[in-house]
Amino acid sequence: MSYRRRGASLRNKKIAITGLGIFCGAGKNRASFTESLLKGRCAIGPVDLFDVSRFPARIAAQVRDFDPLDYFDRKTAGRLMRADQFALIAAREALDMSGVLGHYGPYDIGVSMGAGAAGMYQGELWLGGIVRGEKSHPSLLRGILPDRTATAIAGEFGLCGYQGSITTACSSSATAIGWGAGLIASDRLDACVCGGTDALSLLTYGGFNSLRVIDPEPCSPFSLGRQGISLGEGAAYLVLESEERALSRGAEIHGYILGYAIGGEAYHMTAPEPTGQEAARVIRNALEYSGITSESVGWVNAHGTGTPLNDVVESKAMRLVFGERADSVPLVSTKAITGHCLGAAGAIEIAATVMALNAGIIPQTLNYRDKDPECDLDYCHDGLKVSDAAIALSNSFAFGGNTTSVVIGK
Amino acid sequence: MKATFSDIVITGLASISAGGVGTAQMREPVEQGRCMLTPVPDAILGETGHLWGKATAFRAADFIPPLKARKLDRCSLFATVATGMALKDAGVDMAAIPPERVGIALGCGFGGIANSEELLRGYFTKGPEGLVPMLFPNTVPNAAASNASIEYGLKGPNVTQVQRFCSAESAFLMACRFLEEERADIMLTGGADDLNAIMLQGFKSMGQLASHAAGFGEGSGIVVLERREHALRRGAGIRGSVGEIRTIGSLLPGREAEGAAILKGDGKPDIVSLSGSAAELPFLMEGMTDVPRLEVGPLVGRSLAMGGVAMTALLLSLDDGKRALHLAASPEGPFFAIDFFGGPSVQS
Repeated sequence: MSYRRRGASLRNKKIAITGLGIFCGAGKNRASFTESLLKGRCAIGPVDLFDVSRFPARIAAQVRDFDPLDYFDRKTAGRLMRADQFALIAAREALDMSGVLGHYGPYDIGVSMGAGAAGMYQGELWLGGIVRGEKSHPSLLRGILPDRTATAIAGEFGLCGYQGSITTACSSSATAIGWGAGLIASDRLDACVCGGTDALSLLTYGGFNSLRVIDPEPCSPFSLGRQGISLGEGAAYLVLESEERALSRGAEIHGYILGYAIGGEAYHMTAPEPTGQEAARVIRNALEYSGITSESVGWVNAHGTGTPLNDVVESKAMRLVFGERADSVPLVSTKAITGHCLGAAGAIEIAATVMALNAGIIPQTLNYRDKDPECDLDYCHDGLKVSDAAIALSNSFAFGGNTTSVVIGK
Repeated sequence: MKATFSDIVITGLASISAGGVGTAQMREPVEQGRCMLTPVPDAILGETGHLWGKATAFRAADFIPPLKARKLDRCSLFATVATGMALKDAGVDMAAIPPERVGIALGCGFGGIANSEELLRGYFTKGPEGLVPMLFPNTVPNAAASNASIEYGLKGPNVTQVQRFCSAESAFLMACRFLEEERADIMLTGGADDLNAIMLQGFKSMGQLASHAAGFGEGSGIVVLERREHALRRGAGIRGSVGEIRTIGSLLPGREAEGAAILKGDGKPDIVSLSGSAAELPFLMEGMTDVPRLEVGPLVGRSLAMGGVAMTALLLSLDDGKRALHLAASPEGPFFAIDFFGGPSVQS
C-alpha cells in the first residue's frame, strides 16, 4: 500500500531531536537517568506518597525526596500539580539543552504532549475530603484534567504555536511525540516540545491492583513467574525541529524521530489481541512511514509491562515483523528500571532509547526470574549489550487497544 | 499554525445532545434558537438556579443490548451510538472497507470522571475491597473512542485529545492530517462528553458555576471525513468540505495581535459558529459582526468536547456553495478557526 501520497511527511523530512529532558524515579535529570540506564538500576521500591499498606502490592517507582521548592518558588509550586511540576522540570531541561528559544517566533513553536492521570492525586485528596464530610480545598481540582500541563508549559516558556494533549492511556506520550514530529514535517510548526508526564495516584494504583495486574515484587518483563506491572511516575520531553533548521542554527542533534504509526486493535478494552497481528501491523506501518525496512532496526524498546499476556503478545508481534531475524533483534523493557509511567511511559521510553542509541548500548531488562517458554527472544536479561545500532523502535500499547510504535534514529 | 486541507470532504454526521438523539432532532432547536437546557436538580448542588444540557432523550437500550451497555460508561455510550449513526449516515459499510483504513479521533474532556469517582468512592468507604475492577478500564479518557472502535471494528488511527474547550477541534485537526497522510481513508472525528453530579460539585467548589461552567452540556457530535476521491469512488454523498484550519496554542502577552492575525482567514464567511468560550472573545469576531452567528452552547450546553456537536450543527445548517467559519476557544487557549464549505462542489 502506498502511504503519504500527499502532504510533506516524516519520510521526506528528517526531524531532529535537539533537546531532551527527563525527570522520574530512575533519575531527576539526563545524567542521573543515563546512569540508571547504564548501571541497570531499578527505581522500584516502597511508596510513601499515599497509604498503600492495604494493597497486595506496595511498591512503585515513585519520584522520591522530591521537594517542589527545590525547583519552584512557593507560589508557583502551589499552583502546579505534581504532574505539572515534573513536566516543567523536564521540559526546561530539554529546552536548555536545545537552545531553541529565541530562534523561532513564539507562534512557530508548539507543545504536543501525552498525559494520563495528571492531577488525579490532588483530585483524590479533594474527593476523599468530600466523602469524609470534610471541607476540601478547591485548588486541589485545578489540574484534574490532563490538558493543564500543556498550558503550563506553553505559558512558562512562551510557546504559542500549538497546544495539544493526547490522552490514550499508556500510549499517550509516544503518540504525542509522533504527532509533534509530523507537525514539523508538514511545515506547520518550526519546533515542538513533545513528551508526557504522569504522577502516581490512588486511582491508578488501586485500579491496577483491583485488576490484579501489579506484581508485588519489582516487575520482571518477559520472565517466567512475572505477575504484572510496577507503576512509576515522571516526565520526559524532547525538543523537535527539522534537521535542516537545526543545523542552520548550529544546534547539536541527539537523534531523530524517523516515523511513527498508531492504530486501534478493536479487540478488547484491556486485553491485547492475542495473536500479536494487530500490534505487528502497527509496527510495520511505523517502519513504512519512516521509509525504512525491518532489517535496519537494531533493537526494540518494548512496551514490556511484565503482565503475563502483554509480554507474550509483544514477543509474537516481534516474530511477525522480523521473521527469522527476530532472534537477533533484542526486545528490552526499560519499565523494570522506570516502572510503568502510564501517560509518560512512551516519552520516557523514547528518551531512554535515544540515550541508549547514543551510548552505544542496548539496555538490560532487569529483574529476571526464569525463562518463559512463550517469551523466546533475546530480552537482554543477562546484562546490557554494546551495540552499534543506528535505529531502534519504541512500542506503546494502551487500554482500548490503542497502539503506537515510534522509529528512532541516532 | 495554518493547515490547508483542500480535498477532505464531509460524508456523514451524527449528534446526540440535549437537543435530541439524531441530526434531525438537533435541527429544530438550532433553527428555532430554542434553549434545551433544564434546571440542575437541587439535590446535586444544594441550591437552585443552575441549568445544564442533559441529553435526557438518550436511552442506550434503544441502540445497544443492555448487557453490553452495562460495561460502558455514559460517555462511551454517547460516542459508540453516535459513531454508529455517523457510519450509517455516511453509508459506510464496514464489511466492504478494510477496517485498518477507518480511524477515529475524538475530543473528550470529562470522559472517565464518573467511573473514576465511583471507583475511588468505593476505596474511600470500604478500602481496597471496595474497588470494583469493572469500573477501572473506563476511567481513561480514550474509553469513548476506543469502545466505539471496538464496537464497529475501526482499526485505523485511534486517538483522543483533551485540550480545554477545543478538544473536539484538536481531534478534528488530527483526523484531517491522518487523511492527508493517507494513514486512513475514512476518519470519524468530533467529541464526546458526559455530565455528572461530581463534575458540577467540583465546578461549584471552584466557584465556576456562574462563569466557565455555566450551562454545561453533554453528548457527542461526530463528523465523518474522507478524501474527496475516496468518497467519490465509493459513491458517498458529499455534504461539504474542509478548508483551512488555523490554530494557536495561546496568545503571548504583548504580542496578541500577531496571534490573532494567524487565526484570521481570507474573506468573509456566510455564517460563523462559536464554540467553547469563543463568544466571550470579541477579537475573534473582528470584522465579522454582521455575519450570522450560530451558537449551540446556549441551546444544548457546552463542554470541552462539545465542539463536535457545534460542528455537526453548523454543517447541518450550511447550504450548498456557502462558506462557514467555526471558531473555538478557551480563555487561556488554544484557539481554533476551521473553514467549511457547503455542498459537494470543489471549493477554491
